[in-house]
Amino acid sequence: MSRMKHTIAITLAAVVLVAGLFGAGPAAAQANRIIIDGSTTVGPIAKAFAEYYMQKNPGVNVTVSESGSGNGAKALVNGMCDIADMSRFMKDEEFKAAVAKGVFPVAHVVAVDGIAIIVHPSNPVTGLTVEQVRDIYTGKITSWKQLGGPDVKIVLISRDTNSGTYESFEELVMNKAKIVATAEYVGSNGAIRQRVQSTPAAIGYVGLGFADRTVKALKINNVAPDNATVSSGVYPVARPLYMFTNGYPKLGSHLHAFITLYLGPKGQEIVEEIGFVPVTKY
Amino acid sequence: MDPGSRKTFDRSFTAVGYFSIALMAAALVVLLMPIFAKGSGAFVFRGTVENRRLMLEKFGRGDRAAIEAEKAAAAAARAPVYEAIARFEAALDTADAEDRRGYRSDFREVRELVAELLGPAPGRQTPVLIRDQYGQTRWDRASVVLHRILYVEDYDYSDATKMGVKVATPRVERFRGTALEPLFGVLERDARAMLRPRTTFYWRFLFDQSFDAHIFGGIWPELLGTFYLAVGAMLFAVPLGIVAAIYLAEYAGESAFVSMLRTCISSLAGVPSIVFGLFGLAFFINTLRVSPSKSVLAGSLTLALLILPTVIRASEEAIKSVPVAYKEAAMSLGASRWRSIVTVILPAALPGVLTSVIISMGRAAGETAPIIFTAAVSVGKPLAIWQTLSQPTPALPWNIYNLATEHEAVDEIRHVQYGMVLTLVVLVLLLNLAAIVLRARVSKKLRG
Repeated sequence: MSRMKHTIAITLAAVVLVAGLFGAGPAAAQANRIIIDGSTTVGPIAKAFAEYYMQKNPGVNVTVSESGSGNGAKALVNGMCDIADMSRFMKDEEFKAAVAKGVFPVAHVVAVDGIAIIVHPSNPVTGLTVEQVRDIYTGKITSWKQLGGPDVKIVLISRDTNSGTYESFEELVMNKAKIVATAEYVGSNGAIRQRVQSTPAAIGYVGLGFADRTVKALKINNVAPDNATVSSGVYPVARPLYMFTNGYPKLGSHLHAFITLYLGPKGQEIVEEIGFVPVTKY
Repeated sequence: MDPGSRKTFDRSFTAVGYFSIALMAAALVVLLMPIFAKGSGAFVFRGTVENRRLMLEKFGRGDRAAIEAEKAAAAAARAPVYEAIARFEAALDTADAEDRRGYRSDFREVRELVAELLGPAPGRQTPVLIRDQYGQTRWDRASVVLHRILYVEDYDYSDATKMGVKVATPRVERFRGTALEPLFGVLERDARAMLRPRTTFYWRFLFDQSFDAHIFGGIWPELLGTFYLAVGAMLFAVPLGIVAAIYLAEYAGESAFVSMLRTCISSLAGVPSIVFGLFGLAFFINTLRVSPSKSVLAGSLTLALLILPTVIRASEEAIKSVPVAYKEAAMSLGASRWRSIVTVILPAALPGVLTSVIISMGRAAGETAPIIFTAAVSVGKPLAIWQTLSQPTPALPWNIYNLATEHEAVDEIRHVQYGMVLTLVVLVLLLNLAAIVLRARVSKKLRG
């Protein structure tokens, strides 16, 4: 038995040693790399910024993951990323968890986004009211016939609950009402668009930059989502898009230069080209 | 059972066997054919002059003088298009307000589509996004855009009982009698002269970095990341796995503890890979902090855990299948137990061990779930070897998923996604082939 104890002791010692070797590493903030995680809606902006920034600064590696706003917040709280892309603001509990771990989230609003309510282009319906959208998602309206379309059952597509777009949609449209259980939950903006593209009876919601010509973005309360209506606040389902950092980045660091890209004309051009709405206009 | 029915039974059993093999072969063909057919589109395609311009400007490839000449020829062919646009614009300036309003959005759409097809109009400021700096680089995509310029796709909703029906009307109808009218005819007739498609063999797809989030360029960061992850997983799993296998086969004996250990290893092999992924995140990154963020190291460790049971069980079987006479002979010559294992048993078991190692490597290269939370990102540079300790990387399996579902321009870059799939499938097939060949060669050598 003592030999086995010996073996266990040696194994433990080895594990501790290996852990100690790697564990000494600093937090995510390191000079020549920027690690970005979070929202799939903000993803295209982050990827385009990354491309632009790496061209200007060839020695810097900017990596972008798109795992959803909730995961982005978790990663920032755990010190696993430098920037958390989020399509909603941080929640109370996320803030508390962050502060408890010595992380102080600072919000940077990089763009404004309208949540486009999309249907298949073959759908004759062109506009809905916020109430009608809510009734569709609570299951009160079940057929396109009730909205002036053909007698076809509505196929509901929603984002998963980890998504910031989901939370914004819940807040701006659902008004605390519960989404009906028949809704189909998918993991990204692109996935919603694909489901709607291929399903004539479907309805879904995506960030404005994802509403391309393969789907039809509905008018909401008689307002079509576009650059002007979103930035002026006329389009009712709009929200800011955030990048969160731990504290305000050190002036002169790559992180600082990156996070302030959206303030310059190039950054705004990128945001606009991708299909989102820049915060300010040059 | 009488001989007659036994024979029938025998035959039907054989028939079912053949049938299932045929079914499997058919499934494999059905699965692999489209992968090869579509995936080859990333490597061999009709490249346009825009593609050659991109290659020259971003990668410094091609004969500058020849490409300049080609650009000039293409520009000459394109001149009527821009002329029509300019003339229409000028006419619009003098038209009355109502006309101008009526044409505005339609005209803007035409201009945007032309820019999408041919790249930014001459004299315009260079756009900031690389995807807007070039026209269509592939003729197959260019044809799609061309069709969209020539035809307006609309839906006919007149039948209220059904969803609308797609109708394509020539766009030229909208601009009949205006200065823009010739544009459509010119485009239809001279699109080839404007883009000069030519069969392009882009083998560097494998070794080029990507531009603008996979819209242009190749898949080198993904390929390299996959390689790092698979090799890293091997570095951790193979030594541990073989040592564990030697222990289990030669030292452990048959106690209740050991049989429990075996059961544990077997069940570990059945754990879903996403569970390993979450475990890797919680253990290697959040608890042990092997790296400050996701990293190749954390991903390799997670993948190593995933394949460890397979390596252990297969190696153990290989060691056990070495005839006892080998060991007895070694011992009778006075070799110690350890020496007989290292010099006699392990070499004899090598073919089996190697096979399991290489097949596990294929598995590690193809797994997605374990690396989602521990190593993979959508966009990143190819890493230098020391950076793998602390930085995450793109990797083929993850990026295939990312391009298939999340990317904002999914439809425009299907060829990249298919190319990645083909590369990954070929990679795994090659590894398995290598396993077979290696096994055959080593066992032949051992037999003398």
